[in-house]
Amino acid sequence: MVRIDYVTFTETLLQYFFVVGLSPLFAGIFHRAKSMVESRKGPSIFQPYYDLAKLFKKETLKPAGSGIIFIYAPYVGFGIYSLISLIIPVLIPVPIYFTASADFLGGAILFSLAAFVKVAAAMGSNSNFSALGVSRMLSFNFLSEGTLITVFFAVSLITGTNNPYTTNLFLASNPLQNISIVHIFSTLAFFMLFLYETGRIPLESAGLQELGMIDEAVNYEYSGKLLAINKWNSYIKQYLLGSVLLNVFLVPWGLNAGSPWFLLDVPMMFAKWLLLIGIVLIIETTLAKLRLFRVLDYLATAFTFSILFLIFTEVIA
Amino acid sequence: MSAFGEVLLLPLSSLILITAFYMQGQEFIRPMIRGQLVQSILLAAISLIMGFITGDYDFIILAVLIVVLRGFLITYFLERGIRKDQSHLHERQVSVAYLFIISLVFVLTAVLIVYSVVFSGIRTESITGNRGILVFPLALFFQGLFLIASRRTTYAQIMGYIEEENAIVLFAVFLLPIPLLIEASVFLDVLALVVISSVVVVEKFTHERVEELRG
Repeated sequence: MVRIDYVTFTETLLQYFFVVGLSPLFAGIFHRAKSMVESRKGPSIFQPYYDLAKLFKKETLKPAGSGIIFIYAPYVGFGIYSLISLIIPVLIPVPIYFTASADFLGGAILFSLAAFVKVAAAMGSNSNFSALGVSRMLSFNFLSEGTLITVFFAVSLITGTNNPYTTNLFLASNPLQNISIVHIFSTLAFFMLFLYETGRIPLESAGLQELGMIDEAVNYEYSGKLLAINKWNSYIKQYLLGSVLLNVFLVPWGLNAGSPWFLLDVPMMFAKWLLLIGIVLIIETTLAKLRLFRVLDYLATAFTFSILFLIFTEVIA
Repeated sequence: MSAFGEVLLLPLSSLILITAFYMQGQEFIRPMIRGQLVQSILLAAISLIMGFITGDYDFIILAVLIVVLRGFLITYFLERGIRKDQSHLHERQVSVAYLFIISLVFVLTAVLIVYSVVFSGIRTESITGNRGILVFPLALFFQGLFLIASRRTTYAQIMGYIEEENAIVLFAVFLLPIPLLIEASVFLDVLALVVISSVVVVEKFTHERVEELRG
């Protein structure tokens, strides 16, 4: 008979509902902070929730000729991101239920799977504009996926394990490893990737329906409930990537496990996210948007640094 | 080599490599020359640190020589070739993504061949105590070679040459205590070459590959 460890069970529930429930809030805080920097009053920090609630109430329109993938892809994506939120240390620094489903590389592959499902759905919408977005997305993603996997390899090399929780513990207890070359450059590469994956300036300006948009074009045919789920997926993805960046690369310290200390992880993650929002805000408000064809140069730079320093570290070690 | 020394040397060597990639991807000539300046200053910093760690004054004199000759004189001669109203001077159609990926493949393959074939046959010991650190000068050397091969501008090709020279100096700094006289003569040699090249630059801004085959 399987005995349930109630502390782990509570930690699992807390992590899952924190990720799924509060990920739109971080997007709201970011937009509000950006408005303040731009001397605007800006929307409430709860605006993403209002948007989601509005979209859930709206009618869902299905384009003529679209397939079954188009309808079910947002749900599949939500399922994939839900699983990822349980297998990487995005709130609780010790393994919880479902953590054993996959390792770090498995997490990276799940991110790729979610992207693939989204692409397949956009192609299944029979829209030329979505196909254009997919074409753009794929011409950039071959480098971003390569960087993602290389960065995770780099982390595995530093710690000698492919378990993200062990990595977090190792980096938190060995501060000198955080200034090793491979860690610095994999952090840099992952940060560049984070900006790209979450559609931030200088890569993408998601707020406007402009020619340079990538992610918005892929969502173009979605409406109503399906669009709401897709938007929610984007918020969760942003939270997951940002939390990996914070907990594994930038600031692996400060998280607690065990009752009742795990409750302190919630304000700690808020504090860490405010730091990340501050950094992204500085970049967003100081840099101009790159021209579309320059995005490839940006990703090639991230890829080059991640792979070069990964191999060099192996030679030096 | 102390852990402190290695903690300083590895990031500085990495930054040198980053300046090499910066120069590879840079279209504009003036920032490219500044990239060479930063690279030389970083090289001087490494030499200075080695001087303090080993207690050998030659390294410190070498650092001063690098700053004066590479940092100031070569930068001065190269920038003199650009008129004040030509700050926008650049090479057209530099595809960063394409060049970076090809360069990455070229540099990694070359470095791995050197390591697996050459270094396995001969005994090399770096004075830093870690032979692996020699990977940085090697990569810099091949990156300089690729810069010459991949760009059409005369400026970029001179930069590639200086980068190769920097790689040899870095290699010498890491590998064995240096005879300073040889280093100084190499520097003066490169300086003379750059002075002559700055004349060629004014005459001929770009070199097409086919032109070299003509009589």
